[in-house]
Amino acid sequence: MQTIEIIISTDGQSRIETRGFTGSRCKDASRFLETALGKVSSEKLTAEYHQTVQHQPNHLTQEN
Amino acid sequence: MSHIVTIQTEVRDAEALGLACRRLDLGEPVHESVPLFSGEATGYCVRLPDWRYPVVFDVDQGQVRYDNFEGRWGEPGQLNRLLQFYGVEKCRLEARRKGHSVLENQLSDGSIKLTIQLGEGHANN
Repeated sequence: MQTIEIIISTDGQSRIETRGFTGSRCKDASRFLETALGKVSSEKLTAEYHQTVQHQPNHLTQEN
Repeated sequence: MSHIVTIQTEVRDAEALGLACRRLDLGEPVHESVPLFSGEATGYCVRLPDWRYPVVFDVDQGQVRYDNFEGRWGEPGQLNRLLQFYGVEKCRLEARRKGHSVLENQLSDGSIKLTIQLGEGHANN
């Protein structure tokens, strides 16, 4: 499941976390909130961000 | 999680500001020019409880002007609470525009957590 979690503190500062994404798609998903709320003061990429979808190479076998 | 972003709220949406005021039982923000101690300010004015001067939001510039004399003319927590609820209502509005569902929870430290569940094809919205 892909979710965006926003924690808005008592001083009005917001912290956005994306969950269930791999790679940079999380940034695309949450950008609408980031631009709507104000100025980004810090950003941290997590291990999931650096994961990429692994594609299995196609193997061609030759039958004689 | 994939990435974490911290954002300093800027009030740029009069509709979300109005919704936040409604939730806090404040009067509807009115766009006007008002005198502050340090001069006149123009924007959406909100009168916070026991504040001597109104808080003025310039939504075009994302700026807020007020004179509370370091808390002596108005308790800063009132303004922070308004900013918090503005953030909540702004997120709810934006999520709804994208067709996403939003779950809201109050946390023990006073923070508010919103969980937005993305539907299929969200990237195309």
